[in-house]
Amino acid sequence: MDPIRTFHDLLYGLGVAASPENLMVAVVGLLLGTAIGVLPGLGGTNGVALLLPLTFHLKPTAAIILLASVYWGAIFGGAITSILFRIPGEPWSVATMFDGYPLAKQGKPGVALTAAFTSSFIGAFVAIVLFTFFAPPLAELALKFGPPENFAVLLLAFATIAGLESGDPVKAVLMTFLGLLLATVGFDIVSGSPRMTFGSVALQSGVNFVIIAIGVFGLGEILLTVEEALRIEGLRARLSFRDVWETWKMFPRYVWTIVRSTLLGFWIGVLPGTGATPASFMSYGMARQFSPRGSKFGTGEVEGVVAPETAAHAAGVGALLPMVTLGIPGSPTAAVMLAGFFIWGLNPGPLLFRENREFVWGLIGSMYLANVIGVLIVLTLVPAFAAIVRIPFAILAPLITILCSIGAYAVNNQVLDLWIMLGSGLAGYLFKKLGYPLAPLVVALVLGDMTEQAFRQSLIMGQGSPAIFFTRPIAAFFLAASVAVFLLPFARKVVRRARGGAVPAEAPGTAGS
Amino acid sequence: MRKAALAFAGLLVAAGIVFLGEASRLPTGWTASGPGPGFFPFWLATGFTLAGLAVLVRTWSSHHSPGEAFLPGGAWKRILVVFLPMVGIVAFLHYLGIYLGGLLYLLGYTRGVGRHSWPVVVAVSVGVPLVLFLIFERWFLMPMPKGLVLEWLLYGR
Repeated sequence: MDPIRTFHDLLYGLGVAASPENLMVAVVGLLLGTAIGVLPGLGGTNGVALLLPLTFHLKPTAAIILLASVYWGAIFGGAITSILFRIPGEPWSVATMFDGYPLAKQGKPGVALTAAFTSSFIGAFVAIVLFTFFAPPLAELALKFGPPENFAVLLLAFATIAGLESGDPVKAVLMTFLGLLLATVGFDIVSGSPRMTFGSVALQSGVNFVIIAIGVFGLGEILLTVEEALRIEGLRARLSFRDVWETWKMFPRYVWTIVRSTLLGFWIGVLPGTGATPASFMSYGMARQFSPRGSKFGTGEVEGVVAPETAAHAAGVGALLPMVTLGIPGSPTAAVMLAGFFIWGLNPGPLLFRENREFVWGLIGSMYLANVIGVLIVLTLVPAFAAIVRIPFAILAPLITILCSIGAYAVNNQVLDLWIMLGSGLAGYLFKKLGYPLAPLVVALVLGDMTEQAFRQSLIMGQGSPAIFFTRPIAAFFLAASVAVFLLPFARKVVRRARGGAVPAEAPGTAGS
Repeated sequence: MRKAALAFAGLLVAAGIVFLGEASRLPTGWTASGPGPGFFPFWLATGFTLAGLAVLVRTWSSHHSPGEAFLPGGAWKRILVVFLPMVGIVAFLHYLGIYLGGLLYLLGYTRGVGRHSWPVVVAVSVGVPLVLFLIFERWFLMPMPKGLVLEWLLYGR
């Protein structure tokens, strides 16, 4: 790989992307994508899928730029709903809620939004640079990751989330098990038999984590708010661009979190079948583990917004890498885009770089431009978005409820899902009140299917012996890391006790929400 | 508070046992295609139940703050006022749909609880469902449940 040659190609790509037509397509895509991201129930994947037919009339380069811009816009937009309403606008912004919503509730929605947008931008931008210069070797390395390695990495994600729950660790483990159990509901992929459905046909398609997340976070939050006595007035929040500047001044402090989250997110994105959602959770967990203020996470730490957003956007870029270089989609959205490749008459794979220089480098060039334009658009709108928290609660509560219902229904077009949402809303309220952390539940539910598949495939590879996890060096490394990460908080407590210092008691119910 | 915590933990253990029963209806051991479909659910349910038992025991043996009430006074009523209409919307979804149901909910809540003035109440209750209708039904062509009433009003059937 010749860096100078790559640089020339990149300049050429930027030129393609900056043509008036392509630039306009990018702006339209970004605006549409942001709107799609804001609305729960309309996700990046179905947004891209819905716009796919529209691209038949465009040149392939303009078409991919449109779809990619919608994707970037959706990643920016998802954070807005999460931070302001505590409803995930997008699956990958669930982790952004954990600290973004408390920040908004403290009257700092502008800070949370700026942090989210800025870190999305940085994550994406660094990832694009990595993409530009290291695409082919990275794609090959990703293929070396087999089921045992994937399982070990997923285990690390659980360990990071459950291991540093500031509340009761047993409750965190319990919630992880519950999430994994809910993930097994529905058809078993290997044997095809329905599992854990209690005879219900409607449950055979499984429990979608978006519905549970909408219930436990969105509805649960409304119930908690009304319990604490109704605030008739909206929150008082400062609305000015000063928030943007002041948040930026905090960023140098988070440089390690940003570097770690970008690399992690990018890599998780490159791995086939994963994508931005697991990346955001893992990054949040890691940041909580490594940050000196880790125990404050969940109460409105800016770093808790920075970590998942950086990783989600970096993973969004990473997911496009195996799609372009190998023809393997790195995420569901990438899979939809890949369908577009064939419709436009292109064959993704190593040859694409040589045969369709304009397309590939135009796409890469547009990633640079679209992210710069995108972050400028959303940052100028920060005061407008932040104004939403000023809406009085008596209007906001029914509005959020309606959005929750639409979001939950849109997942499968099933009325049963609305009942599940109501049930999980009530459950989420009780869990939160009794000090059961919600984050491990949702993380486990998101990663459950992947984990089980990786585990079963590994055991099949090892002919039933779990030794396969220890004999492969990469898998063994991650396995050891997860055990260490899980035990770290316990070890810290023991050390502190041995030194005679009191273990600070955490308020129950604040953990991971 | 303690009673509620104990009851809830007990409920979780009971749920765990139900999960165990459901999981063990499937092959949980090694099959021709690797670990059976019940393998993962079975061990997860086991872990869940054990963790639930651990929480139960820990709650039982902890002694602090027995006097605290589970809900502050009057909270029940406020929660029901917000939650029951949600249940109502879903229960009558077939007739009212999400848009009309949403309209009624907004109308009732902004007026009844929020005590907003009628112009605000009407503008919000009609405006929000209308905008959502345009976005989902017209622009993105994602059909939401419209309910018999709205279908009849729109399409005359």
